[in-house]
Amino acid sequence: MLTAKDVSYWYDSEENTLYKDVNLNFEAGQLYGIIGSSGAGKTTLLTMLAGLDKPRKGEILYEGTSLQKIGLTQYRNRYVSIVFQAYNLLPYMSALDNVLTAMAITHSERENPSEFALEMLTKVGINPDMARKNVQKLSGGQQQRVAIVRAMCCDAPVVVADEPTGNLDDTNTREIIKLFQELAHEQQKCVILVTHEKEVAASCDVQYLLQHKTFEEVTL
Amino acid sequence: MNFFKRAWQNISFKKGRSLLLVIVMTVILVFIMAGLLIRNAAVTTVNNTKQQVGASVTLSANRDQAFKKMRSSTPPTSTSKTKKPSLSMPSVSLANVKKIAALSGVANYNVSVATSANASSIDAISTSSASNNGPMGMSQSTSSGDLQITGVLNMKTLSDFKDNTNKITKGRALTSADVNTNNVVIESELAKQNDLSVGDTIKIKATTTGKKAYTLKVVGIYKASQSSSSSMGPQQSDPSNTLYTAYTLANQIKGQTNKVDSAVFTLSNPTQKTAFLKAAKKIINTKKFSLTADDSTYQALKQSMQKMESFANKIVWLVAIAGTVILALIIILMVRERRYEMGVLLSLGEKRTKIIGQLLVEMFMLLIVSLALAGIGGQFAGQALSKQVMSSVTTSTTTDSATTQPGGNGGPGGGQAPSGQPGGNRPGGQMTQGTQNKAKSIKASDLNLKINPLTLLQLGAFGFTIIAFAVLLASANILRLEPRKILIG
Repeated sequence: MLTAKDVSYWYDSEENTLYKDVNLNFEAGQLYGIIGSSGAGKTTLLTMLAGLDKPRKGEILYEGTSLQKIGLTQYRNRYVSIVFQAYNLLPYMSALDNVLTAMAITHSERENPSEFALEMLTKVGINPDMARKNVQKLSGGQQQRVAIVRAMCCDAPVVVADEPTGNLDDTNTREIIKLFQELAHEQQKCVILVTHEKEVAASCDVQYLLQHKTFEEVTL
Repeated sequence: MNFFKRAWQNISFKKGRSLLLVIVMTVILVFIMAGLLIRNAAVTTVNNTKQQVGASVTLSANRDQAFKKMRSSTPPTSTSKTKKPSLSMPSVSLANVKKIAALSGVANYNVSVATSANASSIDAISTSSASNNGPMGMSQSTSSGDLQITGVLNMKTLSDFKDNTNKITKGRALTSADVNTNNVVIESELAKQNDLSVGDTIKIKATTTGKKAYTLKVVGIYKASQSSSSSMGPQQSDPSNTLYTAYTLANQIKGQTNKVDSAVFTLSNPTQKTAFLKAAKKIINTKKFSLTADDSTYQALKQSMQKMESFANKIVWLVAIAGTVILALIIILMVRERRYEMGVLLSLGEKRTKIIGQLLVEMFMLLIVSLALAGIGGQFAGQALSKQVMSSVTTSTTTDSATTQPGGNGGPGGGQAPSGQPGGNRPGGQMTQGTQNKAKSIKASDLNLKINPLTLLQLGAFGFTIIAFAVLLASANILRLEPRKILIG
């Protein structure tokens, strides 16, 4: 579904390459974990897979077509949902409106988007009353769940998440991991997580370890 | 259309910022509104003034040609002091006056016949200074009658009555209905001295050959504000001795028929002056008669209104430019503050054009509120500004017109009294439009500063252009936004 083909990336100069000629393949129905030490370039890879950045060399392919060819905005709009560590919700909206806004931007074809969004929020423990409150009034865990629901409701086949549990306690972390597993296994989405938490990585179907400027698949 | 909803959610969530923007926009729009109101009022005033003041064209004897004729008739070798050259001023044919009055663009016309008569049943007011200090010791009543007769077609169009130098205090003014009657309007001092009131009759005697007596019926009494001592020259009678009659009666007293000394045509539109003069010159003998156009009132008012219009235009454009810059700076700061929100939207795949559209919609929503507030505030600001500006332009106009006023007291037929014409009165001068007074009469309160839908539409267009430019300037930042740097970096 999603392929990194001969991807190289550097910030300032080619001499300081983060990684060179990376080849990775991501399939639907799988939960992927990208692990590695801080500053290794996990998030950078994620931004390229999310269409937020371009590789310096090589290309990212979605269903065999280069993201450049699809158009990064179009790709983000149609094929990928992103979950950030800092949730990145729109602060002037309620939880429900955040989900509905994302659905509207991504042209979701749900018949009754409001009802569907409320159902999904309720499923992750955000009841309708809370869903209608300003999103800033929710706790960190609740906000992250809203962010995940936003990704779930957008019908994008690829979901990427950058340290989605980084700000959460163990209980919330377990609930969030469960949600990602559901997304991958029940909704047949390709879910890619970047994490440095071993517990989170262990719950993934496939793990890629970024070490010494290369990615290695970790056999579980 | 999702960005419309987002725009509404944003401005209702950020109430303080929205209020601040409304205040800033209202202030900008109030100044633009004031400028637009003054400009529109100035344009309207000029257009209305065209209809109100018109332009006047005076038909009278060509004095230059008359003097030339007089000089050429005098033998160059003549040294005889007994044969003094005499200036012969031709009278204007009434038929020609009527032909000219029938030309298009003439709103109304008036004629003037000046003569004198001697009081018979009443006593004229005698002025010691006039009788004692006249040139060569002449008493004014010896060379001409002691009453000055001014024959007119319609008293209401005389400048002295229009600008309230003279006022009808009792009875009525003479109109065209008084033609061929012996009706007279006398001055209040003369009426008081002779215990006369409306309805009484007086008797006068012509000074011309035959010295025929006439019985006149007093139909009106007027009050002349001109004092005898301040404005009279030698040989002039007291202004209170001026009687207004129909021109037909003045002609009888003068001993002529179907002729007038001068005629004044008021044009409905000053811009038609040139075409009118061209057509009128075809009717008259330009060697004997001249046509003097006076649109100075219109020109003076036009000039002052143009000054105001120009001032208002400057206000509008200055405020519009300053407003655009101020709003652009605010929006640029706002965009910086909202980088995170925009990054989120971009990460969701929202198009940059729609994000700019959201900003524009937000500003437009606030603009509507500001427009309503500016509509109220702009009228007050416009009123205050126009008072200030009008006071300066009226002062300058008054000064200008006072120095350039054509005709004046020495208009055609006025001044000295050659060929036995009565001196003192100034029919030509009287019929010249009162430029100075007209200019004064246009005050700030006369400007129509009411807000109409067109003004609001203009203001809306200005407001929208300002916010569009401001958003456009600020959108350069949005176009450069990189969601990765905002959300992850």
